[in-house]
Amino acid sequence: MMSGSLQERLEPRVITEFDRPSRRYDPEETVRLRYHVTGTGDAVVRVIERSALWYSEGKGEEDLGVCFFERLTDPQGLPPHTRRGEFAFRLPASPMTYEGTIVKIRWCVRIRLFFVGRRDFVSEHVFDVGELPPVQLPLQPRAVGR
Amino acid sequence: MVSIRLPRLFEKKRGSRRTGSQAWGRAGEACFYAALLAAGMVFTAMLGRRIVEAPGGLASIGLWMWLLTLLLPGALLSIGGSGLARLIHGWGRSEEGMAALRRFPEMFQPSGRASEAEPFPSVPPWENLNNSPGTILRYRLPLESPESWSVFGFGLFAVLWNAVVVLLAVTAGVGFVGGQTDWLLLSILVPFVAIGVAGVVIFVRALVLQTAVGPTQIEIADHPLRPGDRCDVYLGQGGRGMFRRIALSLELEELATFRQGTDTRTERRVVHEIPFAEWRAISIAPGRRFEERASFEVPAEAMHSFASLHNAVTWRIAVHVEPAKWPRFTRHFPIIVLPQRTGPALLNVPPSRLAVVGSGR
Repeated sequence: MMSGSLQERLEPRVITEFDRPSRRYDPEETVRLRYHVTGTGDAVVRVIERSALWYSEGKGEEDLGVCFFERLTDPQGLPPHTRRGEFAFRLPASPMTYEGTIVKIRWCVRIRLFFVGRRDFVSEHVFDVGELPPVQLPLQPRAVGR
Repeated sequence: MVSIRLPRLFEKKRGSRRTGSQAWGRAGEACFYAALLAAGMVFTAMLGRRIVEAPGGLASIGLWMWLLTLLLPGALLSIGGSGLARLIHGWGRSEEGMAALRRFPEMFQPSGRASEAEPFPSVPPWENLNNSPGTILRYRLPLESPESWSVFGFGLFAVLWNAVVVLLAVTAGVGFVGGQTDWLLLSILVPFVAIGVAGVVIFVRALVLQTAVGPTQIEIADHPLRPGDRCDVYLGQGGRGMFRRIALSLELEELATFRQGTDTRTERRVVHEIPFAEWRAISIAPGRRFEERASFEVPAEAMHSFASLHNAVTWRIAVHVEPAKWPRFTRHFPIIVLPQRTGPALLNVPPSRLAVVGSGR
């Protein structure tokens, strides 16, 4: 039975729409996107964080760099009152999306919902900065651990 | 239906990534630091009480002794207090929020925006590569030489190990002269001497290899470079005698640092190697050096140089040398490649109020 109680199991979802369907941008371009939050029922969202960042993937520890960060706390601008939003940010000159062998760099937009009395929920939407081809090893990899 | 996730006793872990609940993890961390803080406070109170109750008070134990006894509770208080403060500071914040707060505290002001931008975030600074003028071309590149640190390490090991060996040998010798032969000490001394001799041999070999062939000098006409740029290179190789081969190549190396248990490991992998010059059967007369010029092109679709806390993508010029009488070696000279030009005004764009990037966490 669905109810507004704390025990209710939510299935939040954030649907995003980038201004460019290919989701590929050049450095220093402006990215615009709209989002729609669904599946939160009557649960009260106390904060929404909207951020754009790059993070590293691969063998090393994850690093990340934030390019845009915004924290919305006005209840009128949050679900269940408002389920839609849009924002824009300008990309820096670097880093670019990179598909290496042991180092990869990805760009994404994260929309994080902080609920009252529940665990927070984060939705990640990847896009590309630049158009570098993935690395293909032309030679025998030389790995040196130390 | 209640859906409270209980903490698991076992979880996957690699470096700072964990599969468990962050909330439980933070709660555990908070308990740990709170316990340290409480222990520090209890110890401090106990010490204070003993000093107050002691006949003669503080003067009876002396100021220095009193400060010494405060060391342990002081350490507990500072570790527990700073840990708790860090947790409270980050409580309820996401990792993006924490990264943004560290890099741009002004974002959390009422204006809510960062105010300035680096021109090329996450590209390593290149000032140290451009501050040495060349003799033929514009910039003389510094040598990236992990081999020098290896030689230093071998030398340090040889000195310290042989100091222990000398100490043992003197002890054994004094006993022997005094008519008391310590066979146990002598049996320990034999492998110690062998390791000490091996240490010296390895150090001398590394030192000779490092210094015998002569220095390598690389100068380039322009720096930093961009994808698609062509650049002239000047090579100067010291030494004397015959060289079977000297070759130049442009290399792209990826570097990833990660933790395995309590160890921190670094893996390096060369993912592009573009040879651009090669000379064979070279003879260098005494007092002269081998000097040549060449040029290379940075691939048009190259990744730019990148460095964050645990990951890096680096470009470098590699000089591969094969002397006739010595083992072959490679010397590396790092360069910086900036991102591709995306428009004529790339470098003239005013700093964005929104687009600012931090690196690492």
